[in-house]
Amino acid sequence: METNRRRFCQLLGSAVLLPSLLSGPVFAGANKTTAKPLFASAAQDRDGNYHLYLIGEQGEILLDHPLQGRAHHTEAHPSVPLLACTARRPGRFIDIIDYREQRLVKRILAEEGRHFFGHSIFTEDGRWLVTTENELSTGQGRVVVRSLADDYAIIADYPSHGIGPHELTQQPDSDVLVVANGGILTHPDHGREKLNLDSMQPSLVRLDLHSGELLEERMLPKEQHQLSIRHIDTNAEGITAIALQYQGNIGDNPPLVAIHQPHQPITLLQAPEAINIAMKGYCGSVRCDHSGRYAAVSAPRGDLISFWDLEQQTFISSIKSRDGCGLTATTHNGEFIISAGTGRCLQHNLDTGHTRRLQQTVKTAWDNHMTSIPS
Amino acid sequence: MKQASSPLWPTLLGAACLLTLTGVLHAAPTEQQWKTVNHTLVTEHILPRYQHLAESSSALQSSTAALCQQPDQAHLDAAQQAFHRTMDDWERVQHIQFGPIENLMRNFSMQFWPDKKNLIGKQLNILLAEQDPATLKTDALYKASIGVKGLPALERLLFTGQLSELENHSYRCQLTSTIAAYVAENSAATVTEWQQEYSPSVFNAGSEDSYYDDHQEVAVDMLKSLVEPVEAIRDQKILRPLGNGEKVRPRRSESWRSERSIRNIQLNIASLQDLYEGHPDNVANLLRQQGAAAQADQISGLFSDIITQLKTIKGPLTTTLYQPQTVTQLQQVSASLKQLDLALNAAMQTLDIQLGFNSRDGD
Repeated sequence: METNRRRFCQLLGSAVLLPSLLSGPVFAGANKTTAKPLFASAAQDRDGNYHLYLIGEQGEILLDHPLQGRAHHTEAHPSVPLLACTARRPGRFIDIIDYREQRLVKRILAEEGRHFFGHSIFTEDGRWLVTTENELSTGQGRVVVRSLADDYAIIADYPSHGIGPHELTQQPDSDVLVVANGGILTHPDHGREKLNLDSMQPSLVRLDLHSGELLEERMLPKEQHQLSIRHIDTNAEGITAIALQYQGNIGDNPPLVAIHQPHQPITLLQAPEAINIAMKGYCGSVRCDHSGRYAAVSAPRGDLISFWDLEQQTFISSIKSRDGCGLTATTHNGEFIISAGTGRCLQHNLDTGHTRRLQQTVKTAWDNHMTSIPS
Repeated sequence: MKQASSPLWPTLLGAACLLTLTGVLHAAPTEQQWKTVNHTLVTEHILPRYQHLAESSSALQSSTAALCQQPDQAHLDAAQQAFHRTMDDWERVQHIQFGPIENLMRNFSMQFWPDKKNLIGKQLNILLAEQDPATLKTDALYKASIGVKGLPALERLLFTGQLSELENHSYRCQLTSTIAAYVAENSAATVTEWQQEYSPSVFNAGSEDSYYDDHQEVAVDMLKSLVEPVEAIRDQKILRPLGNGEKVRPRRSESWRSERSIRNIQLNIASLQDLYEGHPDNVANLLRQQGAAAQADQISGLFSDIITQLKTIKGPLTTTLYQPQTVTQLQQVSASLKQLDLALNAAMQTLDIQLGFNSRDGD
């Protein structure tokens, strides 16, 4: 761990930060020079091929990057025009794309004996790419830090303190990572088969980015051990909204959303009975809005999106979105974009209660997560 | 003008050919075609099946009430027969997993299965031990555990235990009758809601007050009901009892207590075949209209094969599953179901139907 910290300090001292990218050219196509990117998402086309798309505000395609396999989450760099598109579990690639230059900057491959879990993030300062990974020899989760200035060389490799780490976030204005340990053991030899449903123990942990030190570990009550903590988002105040996936009997109708404040136990939230039942035990994605007060949670099996007040810790409302899963916040308070496997994208505003369909030129099945582009 | 137009001809022809070609390759049924098929399926496939279930479950309610009045062998036989008729009708509509049957988990209330942790047994035993008269009202069942509300609980009560346990207006007999009343109430409500609310929503897809944005979206629900049960039947009703090549597990088969496991599968497959090609405006014809006659025929052939294969299997599985011949026969059915699943999924591509991406294979 000390090595990790020293390595971090050395790199922090270096002044070079991706000079070529900061002065990179604007979009190649004429119509793309003025176009404002709206969101990026992985997708599957009707012939079964996988793409990473960047879509503009008018619904136009600003980037169509072919992927070598199915991806999961795409992360936008906070300051330069980079996207990191991570392979879906148990995939082993992360494509780093410069969307202005329209080129693949780097294809990161997982180390021998490792695979990714579909999620990676850039840290707030834009220097590090952090991934959740599976160490196949032990089945233990890892959190790995790579340096952008060093061609994505691994500079730290920490235990995630759980099995099956999935989504991760950084608490704003801090060097603290929040990691969702889904608790589900898988091994590529068994495809996507879940190997430990009877004994699974998901957790939410907070780790020090620079040392890997375990700052906090939270589990759900024992009787809820089959609620997989998979998808999270952390707002500006450091409150983490959690979207759960239930691995037990669907008839149990368990709570599917939770909230975590640092140094406090996880609070489970339940939607009104009919809505909670309709969510079918499965949430696909969670995102906080621009203000950080609200969260949207998708339930693709139930064809619905639910909205939650993180301050009041209550359910607000829900809307229908067939196969809707990907979520992102717009720059307006209480406003979200929803993408669906049907190819549709909706924009919903909690203030007005209005939902509108976004115009698009591409017809494709939008995958699990979408991300908006910092302006 | 003539001079100018003539050099254009090859280009226009080429464009026309190209359009035709892409038209053939990417043809999808029109909204009108889906509307017609959906309408037929609601009126001729779904509604009659729920209607039958409402009738047979109402008869089951009467015969369990009569059994408690006169708990003799003849009345027990009659109640068991009424249970069989209700199960027949349930298995004929089990594949429809959208619409009013989803309201407040009605589908799970009707049949909680597979019950891997023996929830039904445990919850039923609690009720039978406590004998609380307050639980003998259908209202109380709405709040009760999902395990004690439906057909599997009724099966246990009617097909295990002694006739004497049903005598003297016993709690056990009255609970049986209450659950039967609950099943009848749920079945009746499902029909009413389909008639009054859900059918109009299907027929008027795209209108302001419809649950659906267009007729193709309705078709997705219809076709999920055709495609998804094939894999579920194979996994739950055949492969689990087969025990994946290890020891056979007959008690994992559906309705083993009433010895109707094979009959259930036969009714399921016949119902899926009816959905696929049982009515004039059907899915098979839509495939043929897309120029995919071979695909349509392959699926028809597989349905016939599976129906024939199932006829040769002798029950009850509680005894016959221990015979190697039965295992081989079930493995054949399983292989055919796998082929059917692949063929149906390929057909969805022809019909330009995406059954679900994140909902079926999310992470």
